[in-house]
Amino acid sequence: MTALAPPKVPDLAPAPAPEVRRSSYPSAWLAGGSLGAVVLLALMPEIISQGGLVVLLNFFILLTMATMWNLLAGYAGMVSIGQQAFVGLGGYSVVVLAVNGLNPLASIPLAAVIPALVALPISYLVFRLRGGYFAIATWVVADTAELVISSVTALGGGTGHPVPGLGSLSPRTFGDVTYWLSLGVAVLALAVTYGLLRSRLGLVLAAVRDDEVGARSAGARVMQARRIVFVVAALGCGAAGALLAVSQLQVQPGSIFSVQWAAEMIFVTMIGGMGTIEGPILGTVLFFVLQQNLASQGAWYLVILGSVAVVVAIWAPKGIWGFVSSRLKFQLFPVGYLLGGRGSTGRRR
Amino acid sequence: MAPLLELNHVTKRFGQVVVARDVSFTIEDGAAVGIVGPNGAGKTTLFGVMSGDLRADSGQVRLAGRDVTRLDAAERTRLGIGRTYQVPRPFSGMTVFENLLVAAQQGGERRGAASHSLAASALERARLSERANLRAGQLGLLDRKRLELARALATRPRVLLLDEVAGGLTEPEVREVVGIVRETLAEGVAVVWIEHVVRALLASVERLMCLADGAVIGDGEPREVLSSAAVREVYLGSEAAFEAAS
Repeated sequence: MTALAPPKVPDLAPAPAPEVRRSSYPSAWLAGGSLGAVVLLALMPEIISQGGLVVLLNFFILLTMATMWNLLAGYAGMVSIGQQAFVGLGGYSVVVLAVNGLNPLASIPLAAVIPALVALPISYLVFRLRGGYFAIATWVVADTAELVISSVTALGGGTGHPVPGLGSLSPRTFGDVTYWLSLGVAVLALAVTYGLLRSRLGLVLAAVRDDEVGARSAGARVMQARRIVFVVAALGCGAAGALLAVSQLQVQPGSIFSVQWAAEMIFVTMIGGMGTIEGPILGTVLFFVLQQNLASQGAWYLVILGSVAVVVAIWAPKGIWGFVSSRLKFQLFPVGYLLGGRGSTGRRR
Repeated sequence: MAPLLELNHVTKRFGQVVVARDVSFTIEDGAAVGIVGPNGAGKTTLFGVMSGDLRADSGQVRLAGRDVTRLDAAERTRLGIGRTYQVPRPFSGMTVFENLLVAAQQGGERRGAASHSLAASALERARLSERANLRAGQLGLLDRKRLELARALATRPRVLLLDEVAGGLTEPEVREVVGIVRETLAEGVAVVWIEHVVRALLASVERLMCLADGAVIGDGEPREVLSSAAVREVYLGSEAAFEAAS
């Protein structure tokens, strides 16, 4: 056994902490740029009409939903077509809380937490299924939620329920406040998503996306990671639903639980770029530009929307942002790690 | 004291095919054990049962006295069973350093700076420092094998299961892998190594097990095992084993 004399080696654990950077350019740029954009948007009530604010409010609601769907499907590989379940539960939570005397505007955070709490037990059911079966199961959950809610007569059954307690505000103040709330929720959704992706969880999600068996073998608790994402996505969609209820002054099960919401989240994320933070933003902008300019064209509007989806799916399968950023080798929201002093050529997509 | 890793009467079937039949053995703390056997002998299946990638149909797997039979791969990694795969499974879209960081944070040291040091140590141990910021998908075979090894090391294993890490490598590359394995052993990590490159095993292990048809047919001092009648029989026609043994 003399051949096996142990070579002298340093121990694996105690080494000086290496220099690790999170992006190849100063993050002050990102922080400054984002802050500037948010401040500009916050000043919009002084700049544009109330009608314009409503368009932007709906823009932020869809942006929130799309960002959540992107987190679910683009990062955690869970293609859900049932996120409207949590949109609807968020909306109805506002109604229930308002009926019990809470101010609807102040109750939005709580109304978002309720769908998240519901999502936790639901995850144990739907996580038994994968891929297409998972997608169908989420849709079934959404339809079940709609059927259950519309059978509750205290909530107005199938005809819905108004949101009480909003009469005291002037229309102008109401418009401004709901606009700011929707801006706040969208910014929060993006910030939470970005924060998650930069955290240890984000690294786990990226690893699972590349090789799930390898990720488990590296010690990653894959189910737990998925469950966190599922609950966060329910929270975000719940907040979006709460905003919808407040801004429309009423909820109606057929519309707030509509699969249309899922279709829109999926559409804007796919054309913008799935699996990138920038994608849903770009996709939502494009969707609203098309909607504002073409909605009056009737059926042609839908034909054009469909054509956009087909063109993007064929020629830019990673979405418009994926198409642009792969050519410019640039991303607005870096999530990777660079080890200092070792020739930094890596850049994470 | 309980042995580090213990298999008790483990049986695993794929349909009608029995790939591990009533296998029992123990691995002591810090041991260096090689596993040989013809293709289809059930070597990788046994690793799957030990690492938690596969669930044994019957029998028990214990780590330091604790029954881990029902734990999944991630939990077993966290408890100290690290493994590599025959065909490397890099996270292709991530950089080499990020690959190791996931393993360090999930399987080893959770805290920020400590996880960075752990990943960096594994990087250096596997001679991958120059490739730290390259995407794993761009690596060649040797570097993929190094990364596979480094990722298992970054989980801070107590026992490391190596599945043909020297397979397909050139002579100097094999020597380098042997060097990495011996450094790991010197730290007190137990190593169980499946390998067809018998030279690499003989340079590293003090105990050799031979598997055939799902059962252990030889276990002991490497040269004795290779020259035993039972092992000679299953290896008849495979010159590598005899050349190395003689």
